[in-house]
Amino acid sequence: MIRARLADAALALALPVLLLAAYDGWARTAGNFFFPPLSEIGATFAAEWLFTRVPTDLLPSVGRMLAGYALAVAIGVALGTLLGLSRTLSRALDPVLQFLRALPPPALIPVSLLVFGAGDGAKVFLIVLGAVWPVLLNTVDGVRGVDATALDMARSYRVPAHARLTRLILPAALPRILAGARTALAIAIILMVVSELVGADNGVGYTVQLAQRGFDIPEMWAGTVLLGLLGFGCNAIFVAVERRVLHWHLAVTGRATHARRP
Amino acid sequence: MLDVRELTKSYDGVPAVADLTFTVAEHEFVCIVGSSGCGKTTMLRCLSGLVAPTSGEVTLDGTPIDGPPPDMAYVFQDYSRSLLPWMTVAGNVAFPLPYKGLSKADAAAATAEALDAVGLGDRGDAYPWQLSGGMQQRVAIARALAYQPRILLMDEPFASVDAQTRADLEDLLLDIWRRYRITILFVTHDIDEAVYLSQRVLVLHRPAHVHEVVEIDLPADRDQLTTKRLPEFGELRTRVLSSLRAPDPAGVTP
Repeated sequence: MIRARLADAALALALPVLLLAAYDGWARTAGNFFFPPLSEIGATFAAEWLFTRVPTDLLPSVGRMLAGYALAVAIGVALGTLLGLSRTLSRALDPVLQFLRALPPPALIPVSLLVFGAGDGAKVFLIVLGAVWPVLLNTVDGVRGVDATALDMARSYRVPAHARLTRLILPAALPRILAGARTALAIAIILMVVSELVGADNGVGYTVQLAQRGFDIPEMWAGTVLLGLLGFGCNAIFVAVERRVLHWHLAVTGRATHARRP
Repeated sequence: MLDVRELTKSYDGVPAVADLTFTVAEHEFVCIVGSSGCGKTTMLRCLSGLVAPTSGEVTLDGTPIDGPPPDMAYVFQDYSRSLLPWMTVAGNVAFPLPYKGLSKADAAAATAEALDAVGLGDRGDAYPWQLSGGMQQRVAIARALAYQPRILLMDEPFASVDAQTRADLEDLLLDIWRRYRITILFVTHDIDEAVYLSQRVLVLHRPAHVHEVVEIDLPADRDQLTTKRLPEFGELRTRVLSSLRAPDPAGVTP
C-alpha cells in the first residue's frame, strides 16, 4: 500500500522535475535575459517571498481573493437556492442574470474603480462578480435536481420546510454546489491578479507587473511561480475538503479515491 | 380507521382515481392490487396527504386528511431514492423524529428499537449504500416504525428485491404487523404477495376504483411454505387474478 503510494507520488513528480531540469539546462546555455536559470529565480523567490513581501503583498492579495470568493459562494448559494426553489422568481430574474453573466468582469474595472475607488472594494467586487456565476448556476441545478421521492418522503414525515432545506435539499445539492465552487475558486484567483493590474498599489499581481515594467525579470518570474503555487495549493485544499465532505457522493457514484486496488 | 369516500383525482381532466371508496379497520392488513398504471400510486399520494384530491374525502379516525397526518408513515417503493445517502442508517431512521417532538434520547431509543425490529441493530453506523437492496428497504421500514405510526402505507415496497429477500421481508412485515398492532395498507401488483400478507384484498381497476373485495380467510399464522401450499391459497389467488382480468361493466370504463 505504502509502496504503491510512493510509486504514485514518484510518477506524478517525474514530469514536473523533468520539465524544470530541461528548462534550467536550456536557460543556462542560452543566456537569454528574459529566461533566467532556475537558481536565479529561486534566489529571488527566497529573497522576496520568504517572507519579506508576505505581509505587504501576498496577504493583501490572498485576503481580497478569499473575501471575494467567500462572498461569491455565499451569494451564489443563497440566490441559487431561491432560484432553484421558485420557478417564478427564476423566470423574473433570468434576463437580468443572463445580462450580468455576459459581462466580462475585467470590462467592469473602470466602473468599479469609479464606484469603489482604488482600494480593496473594487477588487473584491470584481472577484465576486466573476466567481459568483458557477456557484449560482450549479446551485440552481443542484436544488432543482433534488429527488422528488426524497422530498415526498420528508413531507410525508412532516419534516418542516426549513429542515427540508437544511437537511435534505442543500446536502443533496452539495455535490453540484461544490463543483461550482471549485470552478469559482480558479476564477477568483485569476481575477485577483487581474484586479491588481489596474489601480493597485500592492499585491502579487501588482508586484509581477511592476517587476516586468522595471525589467526585473527574475522577480517577475518569482511572482509568477508564486501565483502558480497559490493556485495549486488552493485547489489541493479544496479537493481535500471536498473529499471529506462528499465521501458519500464519491462512494455512491463509484468515484471513491480510497477504493481498494485490484 | 381510514375512510376513503368517492375519492377522485384527475390530471388535466383525465381521472387517475375515480370514485374510489373503501375503508380500512384498525389493526387490519389490507392489500391493494391493480395492474401497472391503474392509479395506485396516485391513490396513495392522495391518502397520504401529499396531493389534494380533485373531489371526495379521506378521513383518518374521522379527521379529514389535508396534509400528511402525524399518525401515518409512508414506505416508498424506491428505497435507493427515499433513503438519504449522506446520513448513516441510524441517521436516516432518526431523521423525522425531532420534528415529531421526540427528545434526542427518545429518538435514539426509538431508532435503536426499530433497527432491532428489522434485524439491523448492528448496522446503525453503516451508510445505506453499503447495504444490499433488501437491507435498505428494511432501513426504510425501520424509519417508518420509529415514527410510531398507527397506519402504514406501503407502495410496492418489495418490488425491486430478489425473490428470496422478498419472502423474508414479507415475513418480517407480518411479524411487525402483529407485534406493533399497526394498520397496514399495502399496494402491490403481485397477487401471491397480496393473498399471502393480507386479510382483505381490494382489486382496483383503471382509473383507480374498487372492482371487487376479496376476503382472505386463511389461517392467521402464515408461512411461506405451508400457507402457499393450501388449496384455499390457490383458490384465492385465482379469484383475485380473474377479478383483475374481469372486464368492466359497460358504462364504467372511461
